[in-house]
Amino acid sequence: MSLDPKEPPRHLGGELVIPVMAVIFTLYYFTTIWNSPWTAQVSAFAIGGILLFVCALFFIKMVGYLQRGEGRLTFGNLFSYEDIRSGRIGLLITTVGFCVLIGDLGFTLTTFLFLWLSMAILGKFKRLGLITLTATLMSLGGWAVFIWAFETRFPRGWFENTMRMVLSNG
Amino acid sequence: MKTTTSITRRTLLGTGAAASALTLATPSLLRAQSYPDGNIEVYIPTREGGGADRNFRAFSSIWKEKLGTDFEPGFYPGASGRVGYEIYMGKAEPNAYSLIFGNMGPEVLNWAVQEPKFDINDYFYFGRVDTDPCCVFVGAESPLQSIEQIVEEGKKRTLTVGTSRMAHPASIGILALGEETGAKFNLIPLSGGKNTVAGAVTGEVDFSVLTSGSVIAAGDSVKTVLIFGENRVGEALDNAVSINDAYGMNLPEMLSARAFGIHRAAAEEFPDRLDILQSTFDQTFEDPGLMEAYVASGGTPEYLNKGGVDECAQFVKDMLELGARYKPLLTGA
Amino acid sequence: MGDTSTILIEVFLETIGFWWVIVPTIFLGLIVGGIPGFSAANTIIILMPLTLAMELQTGLIFMVSLYCAARMGAGIPAILVNIPGTAGAAATPLDGYPMTKQGRGQQALAISFVASSLGGLLTTLIALAAMPLLARVGFYMHSVEMIVIMLFGISLIASIAAQDMVKGLIAGFFGLMLGAIGADVVYATPRGTMGFLELYDGVPLIPALVGLFAVSEAFIIIEKRVILTEEGQAAMENPTWSATFEGVRETFKRWAHIVWTSLIGLVIGVIPGAGASIASFVAYQQSRTFSKTPEKYGTGHIEGLIAPEAANNGVTSGTLVPLLVLGIPGGATAAIMLVVMQFHGVSFGPSLFQQEPKVGYGMFMAMAVAYFIMILTILPLSRYMSRVTTVPTIYLAPMIISFTLVGAFVPREYMFDIYLALAFGVIGYIARRTGYHVAAILIGVILGPLLETYFLRALKKSEGDISVLFSSTLGNILWVALIVSLVLPLVFDRNRKKKAMVIQ
Repeated sequence: MSLDPKEPPRHLGGELVIPVMAVIFTLYYFTTIWNSPWTAQVSAFAIGGILLFVCALFFIKMVGYLQRGEGRLTFGNLFSYEDIRSGRIGLLITTVGFCVLIGDLGFTLTTFLFLWLSMAILGKFKRLGLITLTATLMSLGGWAVFIWAFETRFPRGWFENTMRMVLSNG
Repeated sequence: MKTTTSITRRTLLGTGAAASALTLATPSLLRAQSYPDGNIEVYIPTREGGGADRNFRAFSSIWKEKLGTDFEPGFYPGASGRVGYEIYMGKAEPNAYSLIFGNMGPEVLNWAVQEPKFDINDYFYFGRVDTDPCCVFVGAESPLQSIEQIVEEGKKRTLTVGTSRMAHPASIGILALGEETGAKFNLIPLSGGKNTVAGAVTGEVDFSVLTSGSVIAAGDSVKTVLIFGENRVGEALDNAVSINDAYGMNLPEMLSARAFGIHRAAAEEFPDRLDILQSTFDQTFEDPGLMEAYVASGGTPEYLNKGGVDECAQFVKDMLELGARYKPLLTGA
Repeated sequence: MGDTSTILIEVFLETIGFWWVIVPTIFLGLIVGGIPGFSAANTIIILMPLTLAMELQTGLIFMVSLYCAARMGAGIPAILVNIPGTAGAAATPLDGYPMTKQGRGQQALAISFVASSLGGLLTTLIALAAMPLLARVGFYMHSVEMIVIMLFGISLIASIAAQDMVKGLIAGFFGLMLGAIGADVVYATPRGTMGFLELYDGVPLIPALVGLFAVSEAFIIIEKRVILTEEGQAAMENPTWSATFEGVRETFKRWAHIVWTSLIGLVIGVIPGAGASIASFVAYQQSRTFSKTPEKYGTGHIEGLIAPEAANNGVTSGTLVPLLVLGIPGGATAAIMLVVMQFHGVSFGPSLFQQEPKVGYGMFMAMAVAYFIMILTILPLSRYMSRVTTVPTIYLAPMIISFTLVGAFVPREYMFDIYLALAFGVIGYIARRTGYHVAAILIGVILGPLLETYFLRALKKSEGDISVLFSSTLGNILWVALIVSLVLPLVFDRNRKKKAMVIQ
């Protein structure tokens, strides 16, 4: 999981993403508590202060690496051609699609589409029969457990409403 | 059909003239407007399985028979009820097919300490289900065992007081007592009823304040010493006296009071629908089944307490005034 | 005393007679525990009409077995696919998942089952025997003491960060900062919420948990055909029962470890308000501190799996103590048990054991019996459950993602939480890719808000006087213990290095 520090050159651009996010978030956080009572400030300023300090240390270290040529401001550890080839970008798109569509299409249908499409992309559109079967079983199983048995308020769509009518008439 | 017969029987019994006129008109409205012709959605701004949920299920189990339609609860917990109200006011259609079931005490106090995004006059409560007065209680092993001891000790040193959260009627009650007697109290919010009880029992705080229903539930591990309202249950709250009797004060009752609310726009556009809601709400209270359901859901029978638009409005007004008055203490501003 | 033992024997025999309730409930509990977002608490709520319709004794046995089984069930996906289903299982994947990747999933499950059951059984018996005494723990552990307890758990960040201290600290403090989102616990001032009302109560745990651990992992595992390493694949090729027995044997060998860590769980469990997430991290931290091989933690070390699992089951028995003795529920599930018991007219508090001793003892007995039956029923399953790891990642990754995003939705039923899980998934993915520990971020997110709650409570009580932190005797003893447990590993480490030098 962690990178081997001896492996040159380091993709420092990638390594900077988390600390930069941390600094931006901390500064934003501070603006929200600037005029607040002390209870809202005390631990946030303490934690945020340390976080900014550690990030500053890290940035100084980064400058050192850059000067010595041990790393470059690249993002190779985050994005590469491999991400497209392996279907990772595809999976990310289907995942975002899942989140966006589940509200309208309902739980079961969206889960089916997501599973089918993601598995197909990752599997390079081979063995589609097995993929269809798996996606169908998983989404119907999810429907049976979450919506039919436990009656959770999962987003309902065409499938759920049809099933409800069928079940209530039957 | 069932609705009509019960109304006729009720009218014959001859309750108040105004109420009769209202209910007499109802059956024709029911036919003419065919409201409700679908389920009524109820927004509950607390967690499923909580007190409001049980309370709602008990009440709606009877009300749905009178109204002739089902209630569909939706739970929107978060930010001490804020999320539920924001979603109700922001997303629910103001057509009398969506109601909110909230707790007028703490939730209205929220608005006093921090305004919501919507105008608080854009909704109102029309039907109060129960009133549960707040109270002061100590742990069974606490050295302080009476309100006199508490006040006396509070004059010598600042006492720590556990409360469910700052913006809560119980907190207002103890601040008012402090103001009246000169005792010093330091409110410690312990996030939620069970932690507030635990705080008093284990000695994390000197004593606690909370709605009495949760205190009754804590059994004999706590002792109640003062009620911010009337003690309607006597022994169950250790025969504690009311703050107004004990200190000659004139504090409104500090209550947890669950009530149904509706968009003002819905009431203005569809007054007939509101009428139907109100009259069937009244009938629900006349059904003996309601008490059974309320007690079965864990409610204290003495706290089932009907209130209409006016009672609710008065209570909301009191809460907003007291909230504004104690705002600096409740917000640390 | 004679009376009590007669009651105990009577209650034990009665409880055994309810095996027909316990066995199916265990399976239900394992399933709901394993689905992220579900827990014993919300399952009991969903099944409330059923629970209330049961007789008191049946209902109690049902709830108690569900509670224990759900706790154990949460460990299964945590170990096999890196999805901790509840905050209490958040420390389980630290060593459980690496074991799985090495093809030792079956052993890991067996270890988790045995450690959970033994830890649960042992602490149940201790709780039963020492109930009045244990109930007093809450009288001494107030906010100041709890601050130090939390710091034990949070200090794990430093140990995890040992390889690259600066990056480890960035991850940990970034987590703490994210955990600080939400209204402050005293005056309810909203902070860092980016305008989302859904964040007023802080970052919801399940979306953060599944996002950081599971969603980000799903995007990593697709690089390989299966989640197992090459040796792991070889090991999984010929599944035999011997792997299960190996796990059982390895766990029994470490019985003292189970006793120790489950006791940590028990003591933290009896403190009202403290819960399984604190206990499992503190147990893990303690286990690592006093280990001879701290560097092995996080790489699939058996003790690293035993500690959180024994501890979180210790919490389960612990939460019953304040519920029964003081009438204060120690956690969410206990709070619902309270509601159900009140429905049946049982009132709690000191008088319970005088008025209805069978109810009080019955609950502990039900727990002991449930753990006993659980170990017999679940252990044989570990062989089959571990086959999940041989499913190719092209199928597994999408399933993990949909399963966990949906799980993120369950506790509050807000669409917002699905997006939040995705956002945490992205943060987790970036962190993994660029050498930041997600576990460090997660510890911050989970324990940070708890620490702040106790800290502000203590400060508000003292009206802002910081010296309150050193105002109690027990608190000061704990401070010393904390310092010792931070310094000891350094000393141990130096001694080991010296010895190694001498040997060379």
